[in-house]
Parts: sequence; C-alpha cells; structure tokens
Amino acid sequence: MTDSDQHPYVEWIAREAQRPVVTDPAARERIMLAVRAEPMPQRRSRVWQRVFEPRALRLSPIASTLLAAGLVGIGVITGKVVNNRDVRPPVGEPKVHAEVPQLPVSDTVVKFVFVAPEASKVSVVGDFNGWNATTTPMVRTANDSVWTVTLPLTAGRHVYSFVVDGSSWNADPHAPLAPDDGFGRPNSVRIVGRGSAL
Amino acid sequence: MIRLAATRPVLRQLCSSLLAGILVVLCTRTGAAQDPDPLLKLDPNSRFAIELMLDSAKAEGIPTRPLLSRALEGINRKADGKTVAAAVRKALGHLRTARSALGGVAEDELIAAAAVLEAGAKPAQLAVFRVRHKDRNDLAAFTYWADLITRGVPSEDASSAITKLWQDGADDATFYSLWKSVQSDILQGLNPGAALQNRIRETPGRAPSSKSPPDGPQETQSL
Repeated sequence: MTDSDQHPYVEWIAREAQRPVVTDPAARERIMLAVRAEPMPQRRSRVWQRVFEPRALRLSPIASTLLAAGLVGIGVITGKVVNNRDVRPPVGEPKVHAEVPQLPVSDTVVKFVFVAPEASKVSVVGDFNGWNATTTPMVRTANDSVWTVTLPLTAGRHVYSFVVDGSSWNADPHAPLAPDDGFGRPNSVRIVGRGSAL
Repeated sequence: MIRLAATRPVLRQLCSSLLAGILVVLCTRTGAAQDPDPLLKLDPNSRFAIELMLDSAKAEGIPTRPLLSRALEGINRKADGKTVAAAVRKALGHLRTARSALGGVAEDELIAAAAVLEAGAKPAQLAVFRVRHKDRNDLAAFTYWADLITRGVPSEDASSAITKLWQDGADDATFYSLWKSVQSDILQGLNPGAALQNRIRETPGRAPSSKSPPDGPQETQSL
C-alpha cells in the first residue's frame, strides 16, 4: 500500500507541480524596460562610503560594557571639570560685604606658608573652607620644602590648620594658637585686617 | 535593510551608554549644586543635638558660624559624633559666657573672647573688657591672650598682663610685639610664665594709634 492509494490528491498535486509554467513572453521585456527607466544610482566616493554608509558592528558583551564604562567615565570627568570651574564659595567661605566702605573684604589676600620637606601634599583647612582638606591644596615652591597658598579672606579672626598628607593636622608655628577645641590639637589663628593680614 | 538591522543593537548600546554618561554628569552637577548638609555625616543623635544647639544659639542671638565651623572641624578630623557634639556644646557655653561677660560686641570679638575662656581664663577676667572704648577693637588682645594661656603661661599672669596693657591703651602692634617676644622665648626653652614676666616689663603701654585716646566707657556694667 502506497500513500497515493490513500491520498488521491497527491498524484494530482505532483502532476500540477511538474507542469511547466507558462509565462507571458513580453513580461521579461516589460520588466527590463521598467528597470531601464529608473535613474542610475550615483556612485558615492569611498570616503563618503566609509564615513556615512551604515555598517554592521559586532561587539562582545565585555566590549560593550567597557565602552559604556568609558563613556560614563568621560561624563564624570567632564562633570568634575565643569564643576571645578564654578565659582561657588564652599561652606564658611567669605562673602563680599557691600556695606564696607573701603576695599571689598574679599580683596584681602592672605598668604599661608608651611614648611614640610617630607610631605607629599599639604593643604590648609579652616573656618574659611569648611575644614575640608581637599578644598585648598598648597603648592610646593621651588625651595621644595616650603608650601604656600594665597587666599582671599574676610576681615576678622580665622582659625586654621595645615593638613599634611591628608591626615596629620599641624598648627602654624608662626601664628598665635587657638586653644584646643576638643579634638586633640590646637589650631592657629590669623587676624585679617582690611587690606592686610597680621 | 539587513545592514540596518545589524547596526541597530550597536546604536542602541551607544545611545544607552551616552544616556548613562549624561545622567551621571547631571547627577554630579545636581549633587554639587545642592550642597548636601555636612552634618549628615554624623549619627542621627549627634546631628539632632547639634541642630538643637544651632537653633538655640540663633534664638539667643549668638553667632552660629563658629558652632557650625566647630562641627565641621570635628567631622573632618574624623571625630565621633559624641565628641563633635560635646565640642559644639562647649563652644556654645563659652560663647554664652563671653556674651554675658562682654555684652554686645562684634561677632569676631565675641568668638575670640570665647576662645580666651576656652583657654582657661575666668569670666570675671574677661568682664573687665566690658568697659568699651569707642573705635577700639579687642580682637588682637583676646587672640594673643588665648595663645599665651594655650602655650603654658599661667592664666592669672596672662590675664593680668593683657588687661594691664589694654588698660594702658596698648594698640594691636604692642600686643603682637609682646606675643612675638614671649613665643620666641618659649621656643628657646624659657618657662612660659617667666618669659611673659620678662617681656611685659619691657613692653610699654601705648595709646592706640587711632585719632584720639579712648573716649571713656560706653558701658560700665559688669558681672
């Protein structure tokens, strides 16, 4: 017993499938005429093709992750650079007082000097920068052991310290001491006059 | 079409990465712009205590700047919350006492006077300075006074020396000169008390360099 015995349509389908397809002899000519009627596409230069033609890129998951991380990093660095350019005074930083008839108070520039030959970084912290050791880094001078920074401060009394290598707090040996305020080591005091500092 | 379809996932990845970068930048900027409360670094109890003290100070007309500065110093020195709160409490106490002893004075003078008390001077010694002289600022006197006590000069000696100079009308340069000499002697190994006694003898009281001598007391009330 064959399948054709059970399905009489099978032979009919096979016959239909084997019959040659009769096409209109003019059809090919019509198609070719239509194609010839289309304008020829302009051939773009190689540079154009390289730059603008879409192409398939294949990235592994790790490569795409690295790419994403790189872009985020660029974003963060850009953000930091832009933020650092902002002229926003930190907590406690002096503000210009318009009522002072002489020079604006913030024009009183004070130079801080600290000798630390062994230090790899020194910063000044005080009530003028919110005691933040990263806000006001000092610069090593050509002398190599002397660190300096110049700051505009308001007239009045300022308490400060020098932070060496991010952890060691030191009073200024050339300035009056403030009493120990409960944190173990005294700070220094700078009295800033209008236009000059003691 | 096939090419475009193959490019789409990559474009999607690039777009999402760019979006992530932009979000990070925005977050960084927003975070910086908001200046998060520095006291948030403290434990809730200490923070609450300090905020109460700041509110009390504000209500009493006592400057909050030195109190906040004290808290920030403690936080940046990595002190624990209790130590920071105790330091702020102590500072507030000294500011209150200084205000009682001196009456209404400029903020910087009040803070410097509180430092004198913190160094170990007695409120009664400070109250002598309540007798205000017109156009006179006692910031330098208070600052060097606090320094001398901090360096080991007996509180009584430092107080009487500074008070005597002040009553004689010494100006800021005179206080500075005395301090510089005493500091130098102490650094050379001299006993702090002896250093002050030696130097005070050679320091003449001078009238303030401003236009006229003191116009007399404006307030005579004392503790």
